[in-house]
Amino acid sequence: MSAPNLDALRRGESAAWDQAFAWLWPAVFAVAKLKLQPFLPDEIEDVAIESLEALVEKVRDVKSVEELKPLAASIAHHRAVSLLRERFAQKRGEGKTDSLDATTEDGDAKHDPASQDSPLDALAEKELAERLQKSLGALKPPLGDVLTDFFLHGWRYEDIARKHGIAVGSVGVYLKRGLETLRRIWGAREDS
Amino acid sequence: MNDERFFDLAMKVIARQCTDAEGVEFDALLAGRPGLKAEFERLQADARLVREVAPLHAAVDATQPEFPAYARERLQAQVRRTLGGTSTTKRRGWNWRWAFGVAGAAAVILAMLSVFNPSKPVTQVAMLDIPGGIRGADTNQMELVRQRWKDARVFSNADEFAAWERQQPLGRADFAKIIYDRAAAEVRVAGRAGGKSFSKIIPVEKDLAITLDEAVAFVREQFGR
Repeated sequence: MSAPNLDALRRGESAAWDQAFAWLWPAVFAVAKLKLQPFLPDEIEDVAIESLEALVEKVRDVKSVEELKPLAASIAHHRAVSLLRERFAQKRGEGKTDSLDATTEDGDAKHDPASQDSPLDALAEKELAERLQKSLGALKPPLGDVLTDFFLHGWRYEDIARKHGIAVGSVGVYLKRGLETLRRIWGAREDS
Repeated sequence: MNDERFFDLAMKVIARQCTDAEGVEFDALLAGRPGLKAEFERLQADARLVREVAPLHAAVDATQPEFPAYARERLQAQVRRTLGGTSTTKRRGWNWRWAFGVAGAAAVILAMLSVFNPSKPVTQVAMLDIPGGIRGADTNQMELVRQRWKDARVFSNADEFAAWERQQPLGRADFAKIIYDRAAAEVRVAGRAGGKSFSKIIPVEKDLAITLDEAVAFVREQFGR
């Protein structure tokens, strides 16, 4: 799936937007799913559609079509977080929107560490999109995969080295470089 | 003890992969060099960041699932409202802004949502009738629809209509939506059957009844009924 033509999108050409929706959908759906799957799985598709609706007017503001995907992801992220806060506030009583650890529909206690004090949630929509685009571009292979394999998948140095065809002693180097890259991009607010 | 060793031990501690011996080694290292505690805390913060950012990266790079066809018209309507869009397909003079009552123009849009389950099909019908327009002007067409779906809902506000649209597919995995766009002189069909999306635009060439029959037949075909 290729990116659509930005000028055609700005002109509102339906074929270009058909292409854009197909191109952007997996990203907005996946981002919404990240936040909502444990708590509000029935809302994932609706949040994804609303995110694309909100994206339409933003096409005037972007400089390149490549900015659209991180921007759409950022919109989906914020909408999903807002929906979670809104729903949990309703459950807990009016005005209580400070925390997202909550109970699920069936009453089981659940805790979402990614939703509490998240540095991502504190970023404005545009800033989150910009940082996302930067870090996607900065984590050259295999940096991103090495970080994911170690921190998310719980793989050991030896397994990561085997998977990526690198020396065991190099895994730490990649991890360090990857962490430094993310810290540089995400570690501090631009206005701080 | 060099920096690389400290880093590797810190990583293993953070990922809970260290052996007992490595844990002892790491504790001794921190105790002997207090300055490393701050560095370790920074690495822990970095790890938390990775656990938030990496899934987002993966999501942005996702290639599935497929865009659902039923969402197309809603989103294209947003494009037309926002950008005043143009169609690259033959639309026979259709103008969505006109359809939504801009500049005093009028429109009647009929939407029918047919939700099927294996045992009992359910049909919901709705109409959008913008005030100030030609409400009731083409009573024959409306009557035709009323005869077929007597429980049709009528919306006089485009936003309310959009909100109604957002409630779909009402938790059903399989559904179909048929929209008669009078201004565009076409019937649009979209939905999902067996996990696959489908859509079709049928111009109202001569007779609305025939076109609606064709739309219903197309929906039934999707559901193998």
